[in-house]
Amino acid sequence: MEPQQLIMPGRRSPRADAPNRPRIGIVKFASCDGCQLTLLDLEDELLAVAERVDLVEFAEATSRRSMGPFDVLFVEGSISTAEQVEEIVRLRAVSHRLITIGACATAGGIQAIRNWFELDEVRDTVYPGPTYVESLAQARPVSDFVAVDGELRGCPISPAQLREFLVSMVTGRRAQLPDEAVCLECKRRGVVCVAVADGIPCLGPVTRTGCGAICPAYGRGCYGCFGPRESANTASLAKWFSDSRSAVEVGRLFSGFTAWSEPFRATIDAHGGPPGQRADGSEPRDA
Amino acid sequence: MTGATCFLPRADLDRLFAALRADDRTILGPAVSDGAVIYDEVASPAELPTGWESDTEPGSYRLRETGSSRAFDYVLPVTSWKRYTHPAFVPLTRARRDGSQVEVEAVLDPPPRLAFVGVRACEIAALDIQERAMRAGPIGDADHAGRRDAALVVAMECAAATSTCFCTSMGTGPEVRQGADLIASELDEGFVIRSGSATGAAMLAGLDLEPADPAQVERAAAQVAAVRTRIGDPVAVEGLPERLRAALDSPRWEQVAERCLACANCTLVCPTCFCTSVGVASDLDGQEATTERHWDSCFSLGFGRVAGDANFRPKVKDRYRQWLTHKFSTWFDQFGSSGCVGCGRCVAWCPVGIDVREELAAIAPVEGPRGPIPWPPAPDAGHAPAALTVVAPARHVTTSVVAVTQETADTATLRLATSDAALLAARPGQFVMVELPAFAAPPISISGIRPDGLDLTIRSAGPATAAIVALGPGAQVALRGPLGRGWPLESAAGRDVVIVAGGVGLAPLRPVIEAVLADRARYGAVRLYLGARTPGDRLFAAEVAALAGRSDLEVAEIVDRAGPEWLGQVGIVTHLFDHATWNGDRVTAFVCGPERMMQATAAALTGRGVDPAAIWLTLERNMACGVGTCGHCQLGPFFVCRDGPVFSIAELGTAFGREGL
Ligand SMILES: Cc1cc2nc3c(=O)[nH]c(=O)nc-3n(C[C@H](O)[C@H](O)[C@H](O)COP(=O)(O)OP(=O)(O)OC[C@H]3O[C@@H](n4cnc5c(N)ncnc54)[C@H](O)[C@@H]3O)c2cc1C
Ligand code: SF4
Ligand code: SF4
Ligand code: SF4
Ligand code: SF4
Ligand code: FES
Repeated sequence: MEPQQLIMPGRRSPRADAPNRPRIGIVKFASCDGCQLTLLDLEDELLAVAERVDLVEFAEATSRRSMGPFDVLFVEGSISTAEQVEEIVRLRAVSHRLITIGACATAGGIQAIRNWFELDEVRDTVYPGPTYVESLAQARPVSDFVAVDGELRGCPISPAQLREFLVSMVTGRRAQLPDEAVCLECKRRGVVCVAVADGIPCLGPVTRTGCGAICPAYGRGCYGCFGPRESANTASLAKWFSDSRSAVEVGRLFSGFTAWSEPFRATIDAHGGPPGQRADGSEPRDA
Repeated sequence: MTGATCFLPRADLDRLFAALRADDRTILGPAVSDGAVIYDEVASPAELPTGWESDTEPGSYRLRETGSSRAFDYVLPVTSWKRYTHPAFVPLTRARRDGSQVEVEAVLDPPPRLAFVGVRACEIAALDIQERAMRAGPIGDADHAGRRDAALVVAMECAAATSTCFCTSMGTGPEVRQGADLIASELDEGFVIRSGSATGAAMLAGLDLEPADPAQVERAAAQVAAVRTRIGDPVAVEGLPERLRAALDSPRWEQVAERCLACANCTLVCPTCFCTSVGVASDLDGQEATTERHWDSCFSLGFGRVAGDANFRPKVKDRYRQWLTHKFSTWFDQFGSSGCVGCGRCVAWCPVGIDVREELAAIAPVEGPRGPIPWPPAPDAGHAPAALTVVAPARHVTTSVVAVTQETADTATLRLATSDAALLAARPGQFVMVELPAFAAPPISISGIRPDGLDLTIRSAGPATAAIVALGPGAQVALRGPLGRGWPLESAAGRDVVIVAGGVGLAPLRPVIEAVLADRARYGAVRLYLGARTPGDRLFAAEVAALAGRSDLEVAEIVDRAGPEWLGQVGIVTHLFDHATWNGDRVTAFVCGPERMMQATAAALTGRGVDPAAIWLTLERNMACGVGTCGHCQLGPFFVCRDGPVFSIAELGTAFGREGL
């Protein structure tokens, strides 16, 4: 397990009575709120966290609003409209550290699947009155627009990782957010590998750990919610999948919440793109 | 200890279970779960995988129901017994930080009393091999030792084999010869069983069984002989360690890296792999903290990472090479045996079916070269502990900061007070793990040894070191150590001493200088060559100035980049002795600095005729345990923590400076 870079070096144990509690903001763009709400999962420790940080912006739980500046700004959601681009650029300028949370902010999210298609066509399918929808052609991760200092992956993010991150912020230690494969957690838990024992395709070997290998523990293959791990060898895994599947099926396996992040994206492209109708009405090619 | 072979009727298997329970043991054995046989708690023989067989191939495992009445016809489960002797998570410490007070204590839970039922021959070998690794010392692992000692082993000889088995080649099976308390073979009507230890003999006597019929013993022998025939001899092991050593630059490493996912499954299912990392958890303020160790693997990128995001094994091909060469070659250097028992788990449970047998044949072919041996054996190679005594838990000694000297913008020397005899007996070149609750413990060299304490000179390279150098007088910090082998000062007696330091590398050399000056007459000429990035990065500036004023040693300094106030030399440290007139063959050199600088220095020194066996340097690697049990710091056959960190160039051979090792 390898810790991720620390967020606020040297800052130690700020308490409610300390003058320098870090000013924290949580904002969202195109997403479902699931990640922000993970903060509420901290239940027992939520009050203690609130004592140690100054939560100046958190739309889900408080009515407080702030224009910044923020010591740490958590950003949820992908960037999909021109206004959102302007807003994220403004927020970056007033944030000492900007941390993206969740698959949408870090990888574009499930809505990034539309990045492979013509926008109009998606709009027509999804909304009855398409004229009201102002959208960029693509749903993109925050890091495509501004510099990001750290990220919490997952769909939704893991409460344990969020806690670890907050503790690292308060204590000044390196957050332990490993970048290794899901397989390590899977084996530590003693889960029987669904790929080897059942032939179920599993993205665990190329996906970053953090979820606790939940899907394999329930007999399902990993969907890749936490996005690519370090050294993700998707080409080899896709080749192995291809032995018993068509290219379309292999492409589909990588077309989840983090489909738009490399090298998943390249692997999907190499297999004819994600599932769905093309502009010309064709299905993805079966290479 | 091996008494008569008895017969245990199938219906009486529960009597064996009862005897194990009466011995206050939890019974672990095979059971079907999630489409596979795993090892788990089994309350009664009814929970055994009766009527199940399993087939494996590279990347595939399938369970098959046969309806037979036999319970042990499956081949190896994905689980290995290491889950119980070397669990995936083991608590290490509990720590408290209250204001400036720090206390760290080792956590050592009493080992559970377990009975392993159905242990195969290769697994017995694996238990022994892993135990040797965890107890090879000089400081063994107390948790592992306790668990292993408390386990009772009931072996079951194999009656079936699968395509991934190769115990025959590795010399570990399929026959069970020793290492178990009870040794059984399953026949249709029951089990022939004999004891393999005094404990087993007593237990068997308690069961009061009839002797086995010679025909039954013969059938059992025929059964396992058939397994041997079925497996054949799939791996040519003759000269394998040497063949692999000669193949470190094989193009095949690149090719296998194209397929390898670096997912670590092979190492985690391997019954002998022992590598771990340390995790830290704490309350929100870092006042109460715990550490635990968990399974890790040389396949993870983080495994070889060091400060400044440098990494000793960045590429997957480096990591695959570490795995294969460790299992089949450097394990011999380290522990005197192969690290592979031929269980085939790594082959079956690789999600893309990479087969070590195939890779070995391609990378280190039988007809391939066998030498030259790139490194001599590790200093403590193959040292099985003389006696497997109980290993003491780790010691964490609280020390107090007496004074802090800011050396440079990012480096400070902490003067620590302690009365701990072991710490005070530290030798120059040894190091300690520095423990501040809630932080990962970094390895830090001892930069001063005094009658009442130690000095540590620490560069703020990341969060943990930043927090440590920020400590003020009166603050406490815990130390674990001293660790490692120090500088061999004795070997320099009567010879000229050359000391070459780069940057913070002067820290571990400071005690050498002090020791040499304290016994000045023992040595010939003493020369100090000190390099730093800039004049502001020079350590111990006042002390060095004082040394420069002495007539009994020579001091030369150089910086990479000068400022306006710097009148000295500019360039790399080797420039300081480019034009020196001294004679290399009388010199013993002690070198420390960044790895590149040490490579250049070693080359320059050998170029001047200094014997490689007299050029000593201290290496940096990622370290988690400091005692040879976490696997992080491996460099070819060496554990840098335990066998070093001080090595001579001659000892390291071509392992020194080799990329990705
Ligand atoms: C034998 C030895 C002696 C050393 N002596 C000194 C010395 O005297 N003075 C000095 O300033 N530095 C020394 N170092 C380097 C020092 O250990 C690292 O700079 C330190 O570990 C970095 O920690 P950090 O502050 O980045 O910790 P964090 O960023 O909080 O964590 C770093 C993480 O990396 C892991 N890690 C393990 N080994 C290393 C390593 N070698 N480098 C970086 N990370 C590592 C740790 O487990 C830790 O979890 C020595 C290293 C070794 C191996
Ligand atoms: S089930 Fe998936 S995550 Fe678990 S070990 Fe197998 S491939 Fe890896
Ligand atoms: S050899 Fe197989 S199991 Fe091992 S790391 Fe590579 S892909 Fe994973
Ligand atoms: S290397 Fe593979 S075959 Fe050998 S002991 Fe380990 S898991 Fe078994
Ligand atoms: S370094 Fe050796 S023991 Fe450790 S995981 Fe790798 S192969 Fe296994
Ligand atoms: S083996 Fe753990 S640090 Fe060397």
